[in-house]
Amino acid sequence: MSHTPATTRPGTTGPGGPGTTRPGTASAAGTAAAPGRRRRLRVGRLVKSVVLLVFGVLMIAPLVWMITTSLTAPIAAFTLPPRWVPVPFSLQNFADVVDLVPIGRQALNSLVVTVISVVGSLFTASLAAYAFSRIPFRGRDPIFVLLLAALMVPTQLTIIPIFIMMRHLGLIDTLAALWIPALVNVFAIFFLRQYFNTIPRELDEAARIDGAGHLRILFQILLPLAGPALSALAILGFEASWNNYFGPLIFLSSPEKMTLPLGLVSLSAGQGGGPAVVVFAGITMVVLPILVVFLVFQRSFVESVASVGIRG
Amino acid sequence: MTAIAPPRVGEAVLDPGGGRQSRPAGLPSTLAGWLFISPALLLFLVFILGPFVAAMALSLFEYDLLTPAEFTGLANFKALVGDELLLKALGNTFVFAFASVVTHLVGGLVLALAVNRGLNRALSYFVRTAVFFPFLISWAAVALLWRYVLDPTFGLVSHYLTRIGIDPPGWFTDPAWALPSIIGIDFWHTIGYTFLIMLAGLQTVPSEMTEAARVDGANAVQSFFFVTLPLMTPTLFFASVITFIGAFQIFDPVQIITSGGPDNSTITAVMYLYRTGFQAFQIGYASAIALVVFAVIMLVTLLQFWGSRKWVHNA
Repeated sequence: MSHTPATTRPGTTGPGGPGTTRPGTASAAGTAAAPGRRRRLRVGRLVKSVVLLVFGVLMIAPLVWMITTSLTAPIAAFTLPPRWVPVPFSLQNFADVVDLVPIGRQALNSLVVTVISVVGSLFTASLAAYAFSRIPFRGRDPIFVLLLAALMVPTQLTIIPIFIMMRHLGLIDTLAALWIPALVNVFAIFFLRQYFNTIPRELDEAARIDGAGHLRILFQILLPLAGPALSALAILGFEASWNNYFGPLIFLSSPEKMTLPLGLVSLSAGQGGGPAVVVFAGITMVVLPILVVFLVFQRSFVESVASVGIRG
Repeated sequence: MTAIAPPRVGEAVLDPGGGRQSRPAGLPSTLAGWLFISPALLLFLVFILGPFVAAMALSLFEYDLLTPAEFTGLANFKALVGDELLLKALGNTFVFAFASVVTHLVGGLVLALAVNRGLNRALSYFVRTAVFFPFLISWAAVALLWRYVLDPTFGLVSHYLTRIGIDPPGWFTDPAWALPSIIGIDFWHTIGYTFLIMLAGLQTVPSEMTEAARVDGANAVQSFFFVTLPLMTPTLFFASVITFIGAFQIFDPVQIITSGGPDNSTITAVMYLYRTGFQAFQIGYASAIALVVFAVIMLVTLLQFWGSRKWVHNA
């Protein structure tokens, strides 16, 4: 199975993947293949590339249209045929967003809820996961099974009693109604416990001989080694909390208490709602930072989703 | 190629019991154990287990938040049986979930196979990013955007369809098109997730095996159906379970774009729950609906696990 340079068209099979010795199918067949078959493969690849390119362009077309439209002066926006270049250019729509909804305040609300939820739930999950992984205690296994069973309970089922509870506590229309229940994340407990189980116990034995207690073993030995698991959970937790719509819709009502997704929807509807082009500017303001963060941290994002695999 | 790592799920799941247990240091270990789990356990009792039990109890009452709750036994469940709107909602939700599972599994697998090898590096990066990125945007933003993209007068899709001679339907106003439109938007929003799961799954198919098949004279189609596909069945199974669970709880785009209309053609189970519980404040009845949603999800998931023995490799 020799791959001759002739079969690898320039630019077609870039090296640098997990397997660099992988010009793959074409070369494997290449040794025995007739020239006609090789040409057919090459045409096949070209067709595939074109189809994928078109598909990719179609996927991002709505986003590109949204961004260019939001950068166009209000009178010229939404003229047909659709504009793909923002002419005449204007930032008026963004100014209108800021006038219509307290979007800065809402971004801050989203940040507060998300940071408290993610940090808090990872903290409680770390403690619990440590106990489930490292401390043999009476009642451990039944409780762990009970927690696992709770993974199947959907939010819609628990949110009605939680709503009643928050109403009695006077926490309706406060951010606390969102982040207090989010301080426990059963999936994170399970995932971290599995990860802790892969860390050799010899490490904590050694620390214990040096006089370390449970807390020090957890915070100075296990957690630093659980970086990939923590960052995967943090990324997914951030994504879920930042994009949450159902919870805020039920608990929040005043504009200055809303988080971004709910604020966006309120921008488009009801009294004081803005025209479409202002809504586009609002969405752009919310989406662009995500795009930038994503392009910078693409690798960790993608690995987190692939490794944890829960749907947002 | 560089963006995807092989799945870590397998390597993390090791030895649940733990062979040797460490000896306690200082505190007796039962006390230490309970202390460590207490914050999570308390929150779990108050915000998951408690509400779960409370929802079951509430389903036996008539309660509107203002007047005292009245015990009505199984009346809510009896009413559910004859509730045509609930039937409609469950029907729509099943159609949506089924379409979602099929389109995501097929689309995700085809995309992953196409991108997995033999593609220009820059093009591969572009396609991966373009397919995955919408998944990171909140449903709220996605729903608002698509409401305008599918707008009959100035929307992108309608305009270009008219240009190539197709008369576009009223996407969200025609009862026959509203649910398919939501299915399409959901595909755009979440296909990146399935695509990623499939790509990760493909990394577990050893290239030696497909190459060996080719050396033995199998063509591309044969090597796909007899080597790659069987080895991908665990990934397909996982994706179908997860996609169904997520799809059956579909709510955000429906609430934002159509509110369940026109003519209840897009009302879904959770949409109906929201209307009943948080707009009509029929708390007991809404709890009963929530229990039905929970039961359906559990039942279908169990069925999928049961059926998986027949088609999943190494199940």
